[in-house]
Amino acid sequence: MPFSLDEDQLDCLQELINVAMGQASDQLARYLDTFVFLKVPNIELVKAEEFSKSLTGDNQSTAVVSQGFFGYEGIRGEALLVYQHKDSDHIADLLGYDPDELSDEEQLIDISSILTTTFLNVFARQIDNQLSYNAPKLLTSEQDSMSEYLDHLSFSWDIALKVNITYQVTDYSFNCDMILLIPESAIIDIKTVINRILEAL
Amino acid sequence: MSGLETYCAEITDKLNCGILLLDVDLKLVMWNQFLEVHANKKLAEIAGQSIFSIFPELPQRWFERKITSVVQLGTPSFCSWEQRHHLFELPHTRPITTGSEFMAQNCTFSPIKRNNKIEHICILIEDVTDVCYYQSMLKKTMNDLALSNRIDGLTQIFNRKHWEDCLAQEFAKARRHDHKISLIMFDLDHFKLLNDKYGHQGGDRVLIDIAENVTSMLRLGDIFGRYGGEEFAIILPETDIKGASELADRLQKSINQADIIFQKNCIKTSVSIGVAELDKAESHYESLISKADIALYKAKSSGRNQFCVYE
Repeated sequence: MPFSLDEDQLDCLQELINVAMGQASDQLARYLDTFVFLKVPNIELVKAEEFSKSLTGDNQSTAVVSQGFFGYEGIRGEALLVYQHKDSDHIADLLGYDPDELSDEEQLIDISSILTTTFLNVFARQIDNQLSYNAPKLLTSEQDSMSEYLDHLSFSWDIALKVNITYQVTDYSFNCDMILLIPESAIIDIKTVINRILEAL
Repeated sequence: MSGLETYCAEITDKLNCGILLLDVDLKLVMWNQFLEVHANKKLAEIAGQSIFSIFPELPQRWFERKITSVVQLGTPSFCSWEQRHHLFELPHTRPITTGSEFMAQNCTFSPIKRNNKIEHICILIEDVTDVCYYQSMLKKTMNDLALSNRIDGLTQIFNRKHWEDCLAQEFAKARRHDHKISLIMFDLDHFKLLNDKYGHQGGDRVLIDIAENVTSMLRLGDIFGRYGGEEFAIILPETDIKGASELADRLQKSINQADIIFQKNCIKTSVSIGVAELDKAESHYESLISKADIALYKAKSSGRNQFCVYE
């Protein structure tokens, strides 16, 4: 399979992500003034037809925010921030805003953008790249609507690289999942970058 | 300035979006022609002033926190019209053909580094008044469509499909919480004769008046729909057969006493009503409908203009 990563490539990607997670967690902790814990990432290839199931799983996510990213050498993809209902109560507090300064939607979008861009900026630095982002967009915010949303999509890709990182902010009992999805053509480009790093070792 | 830099300055001035540069103390360093024109202030006169004195409408605390995230994390930040219609009170290019007073905006806050240190913040302001306008129209149309999908065009009460969806939901709710639920179904007596005598418009007037009359007698949680041509149905959540029968009695009397005026004619009409309560053993909501239907048939065969209870 042209898109699958061998063990060395997977290890290398895992290591890059680990380092980025560490630095991102440190930066976030300083900005948010609380400890931010990132769980060990889960890296896998997903097929388009299995994507909905892998995303919604048993949990009924209530809000999903999408933010696209792109950089040099064909690196690009989409980050999805997935929230469960109970986890989105204290976001304004966490962000350092008064709750009446911004709507619930804006809180979700703001925290999503911060988590995504902080992590990806550090990741990009690891691979000597620089990423740009488009404006984050709230895809769904109602119960059960994520699977409905996905059912209406016809995917233009067959396979994607999926990296799932769970964020936990225990002080605010806040949890969310960041799911990075890299479409097939960009997987080849990521592999080129990884191979270059492996060769330099 | 080199030749290319002059080009860049000229291009930024031709862009149809605002570019604004602040230092980390939130003082204005420069902006492009778009902002100079739309804010109607000369850069030379206001450069170095605080952004909050140039745009006093900005939410200061929110804005400062937003900028802090950009500077501290070194990441861009965004603000969309969908959450905040606009940040800066600027005029726009469709003042006549949209209802919007200020330009709807998508704003992007980007950190600008010099010598590896963030010294400036660039704010990009896109005019999205058009998008905002069409999106709101689309939203309104979708809402209207969703509503018309649920409503019976003639009587303005729920149509059969939506009413039945409601029954399925209420049935499930009653089962879950072990609550009572009752059903009333009623039919206009000799409706065909009314149509023959007064024409279809007369018949329509009767249906509309009865729907209005019944609606005015219901509680907030009751769900009223047009089941078929001259057949109506009411879901009564948390109501037992006694409560349902009392309502049926009042409905039957009220409709029988009402005068329906159509083209100077006073039309008198009556209804036959069937009442049923959900049985504990029942596992389908459909059987509640057939029970109310059986009671309705009994009311008809016993001479109409009355209500019967399913037993």
